[in-house]
Amino acid sequence: MVNVKKGVILTSDPAFRQLLIHMDESRQLGSKFIVRELDETHLFIEKDVIPILEERVESIMEQMNPESNEK
Amino acid sequence: MSTKDRKRRGKWDTYKSQYNADEQSGSSGNGGNSEKDTSAIPKAASQNLSQEGNVVLTDEFGGKDYRRDMPLKADYMSRPLWVAPDGHIFLESFSPVYKHARDFLIAISEPVCRPQHIHEYQLTAYSLYAAVSVGLQTNDIIEYLERLSKSHLPKGIIQFIQMCTVSYGKVKLVLKHNRYFVESRHSDVMQKLLKDKVIQSCILDDREKPVEQTEIQTQEKIKFSHETTEKEKEVGENSAVPADIDEFYGKMDGDDEEDAEIRSLQLLTFEIKQESIEIVQKRCIELEYPLLAEYDFRNDTMNPNMGIDLKPSTTLRPYQEKSLRKMFGNSRARSGVIVLPCGAGKTLVGVTAVTTVNKRCLVLANSNVSVEQWRAQFKLWSTIQDKQLIRFTREARDQPPTGADASKPVVCISTYSMVAYTGRRTFAAEEAMKFIESQEWGLLLLDEVHTIPAKMFRRVLTIVQAHCKLGLTATLVREDDKITDLNFLIGPKIYEANWMELQKAGHIAKVQCAEVWCPMTSEFYSYYLRAQIARKLLLAVMNPNKFRICQFLIRFHERRNDKIIVFSDNVFALKKYAIEMQKPFLYGETSQNERMKILQNFQYNPKVNTIFVSKVADTSFDLPEANVLIQISAHGGSRRQEAQRLGRILRAKKHSTDQFNAFFYSLVSQDTVEMGYSRKRQRFLVNQGYAYKVVNKLPGMENEDLKYGTKELQIQLLQQVLATSDADAEEEDIKEELADGTIKVSRREATMSSMSGGQGPQYHAKARAITERHPLFKRFRT
Repeated sequence: MVNVKKGVILTSDPAFRQLLIHMDESRQLGSKFIVRELDETHLFIEKDVIPILEERVESIMEQMNPESNEK
Repeated sequence: MSTKDRKRRGKWDTYKSQYNADEQSGSSGNGGNSEKDTSAIPKAASQNLSQEGNVVLTDEFGGKDYRRDMPLKADYMSRPLWVAPDGHIFLESFSPVYKHARDFLIAISEPVCRPQHIHEYQLTAYSLYAAVSVGLQTNDIIEYLERLSKSHLPKGIIQFIQMCTVSYGKVKLVLKHNRYFVESRHSDVMQKLLKDKVIQSCILDDREKPVEQTEIQTQEKIKFSHETTEKEKEVGENSAVPADIDEFYGKMDGDDEEDAEIRSLQLLTFEIKQESIEIVQKRCIELEYPLLAEYDFRNDTMNPNMGIDLKPSTTLRPYQEKSLRKMFGNSRARSGVIVLPCGAGKTLVGVTAVTTVNKRCLVLANSNVSVEQWRAQFKLWSTIQDKQLIRFTREARDQPPTGADASKPVVCISTYSMVAYTGRRTFAAEEAMKFIESQEWGLLLLDEVHTIPAKMFRRVLTIVQAHCKLGLTATLVREDDKITDLNFLIGPKIYEANWMELQKAGHIAKVQCAEVWCPMTSEFYSYYLRAQIARKLLLAVMNPNKFRICQFLIRFHERRNDKIIVFSDNVFALKKYAIEMQKPFLYGETSQNERMKILQNFQYNPKVNTIFVSKVADTSFDLPEANVLIQISAHGGSRRQEAQRLGRILRAKKHSTDQFNAFFYSLVSQDTVEMGYSRKRQRFLVNQGYAYKVVNKLPGMENEDLKYGTKELQIQLLQQVLATSDADAEEEDIKEELADGTIKVSRREATMSSMSGGQGPQYHAKARAITERHPLFKRFRT
């Protein structure tokens, strides 16, 4: 039987890929969302998590640079 | 903002009460301690401009719109200042009258931010206090500010200035001919003081009239030997300078502040009993006329002169001379703090101050290495003899003079921790302390004052009887806002130099600052994400990409024959990097001998071009040759550390050209906490006008044969990092303990179980680390 899943290929640098894998493993978005880890810079992820994921990534980036959102 | 202020003031109150308790129990009964009043704060000091907040329109970026409140003057084009109602002053540095305004603003306000074109200053109660204590008068301040401003001064500002200055500095306590006088040129103030019962009881009654007018003797100006006295005045050359500003500038610039109109007022004095000085000081603060303490060292005959001078070959730079002139205005010595960038010759300022006062002097530094450096500098610049220099440290202890020489004045150099140490001492140390306690010091010189906590400082002050205190520092910032304490513990800030101007004049090196972004490798980052905070920091430092970039930079600069210092707060990383690259390293546990050896090799051995150092080298390590600095790990977001480290390479370089001749690289692992810290650390230097260049790719790196190039090697490194004990992963604390005498409270996060020692291995590892500590550091544990 064939399973069909709609997904998106995501390109990132190796470090960011690790961040996504970490989020996937710790289920920070409620469930797993990575379908396949393709190579060093590519991931295949589910399509419907993208809006939530974008939001999360935004807030993580802000946390890393507390200064920039102070002003 | 307002809650923060309240908190700060609360802290002050507790200090005050603590201090008063100290005073009652530990009062030495010696009248020589004339600066006690500095720790009590006049009421006006707690006033704050920004609290009087009337509603100001702000735009979307937080900028304030004052257009309604501040109509421009007709000739605003030729005036350089905006004075905003919240006490912030903005100065156009390209204005023709910039020079006039700058000196004035430094005297009356705190520099906040000084980039290239517009400088920002802030009026505070402390800064105005400082202004008064160097002799500026309330009306002068207001009038000159009005003349410089593009718009009329806001009412609030005028009131603020009046409130802060009207009571300060009107009355002085002067020690001369070994008698204490209260001096004032304001008869109304004098009358008020004389009517006071408490003060009346303290007046020395051997005269009919308590108030007398002393003849105004022509005071000879203090000359710093061999200074270049001719002042090039380019008055009148600049037609763009409005006449009124120029005329006033001459008055400000004129050597001393006691200008004619004030001089014509009568100088009223009365003498007070030596034993009741403290009562008078307290009473005067209650009456809102705090006494400014001055030391008339020329007329002090009780303490013998040292008889030393600067060597004829010694020349002072203009800014050094200016700072000293502020200190020794009207031929007396004032207490205060002088702020000069690292490498700009603070030591020479200190030495000159000592030779000017020419009395017994106690120099306090914060490490043994800098004690040695002070000693060497004294010998280099002044005509002091060996037997007049006494070191009092753990390693080197010279005998205090005995017998016939006992009363001969000396320069004693010691460390803060040595003097403030409360535990048991050896017999010899006990003797030396007795010597320090029994002397009446003419000048107490405090190196790197920003590092000492108020508590320790207060202890030093109760031990040492000094007429006058001079603090030296490069960075008058602290993360904990304690810096304002110094204003009242030592005295106001006398002088602060502008980094960018010294750089332009070639007095300090031109530094290119760069923040190099090192991408994390994926293996390191995946562990990073799962680790606790202390481990995260270590992983970020040990990032193989960072290592490779560091190695590349070292090779690149060694080929240019540069001298490179690499800083790492983390000792594990320090050792690992240094051993991998086969470079010498030194950190807290390195013995004094070895340190000296490494430093000397670095200076003179052409084969040793790179050293790795931990935070022990942050301050007071004088390494004049170094011109490249690479920072691989740092202490959180400490602005002071960043500036101090930069200071290591600031000393002016031989071949001074327009190009950058020093380089400061801060290596930061991308996507880690280091990024945020780095931003915070840079704020101080950015405020001084430095620009950081962000580098995320170094050309030519592919062609180099660098370590940790393959995945296998990187994973090996990762395993080593993960295998380290938690104790190793932490930053080095030893230095902090040394300086404070107390265990440093760190900001590191940890779990409850690790705090209570619940994590077995960590506990054992820590215990072992302590037993293995070098004997040198044992004594600092009680």
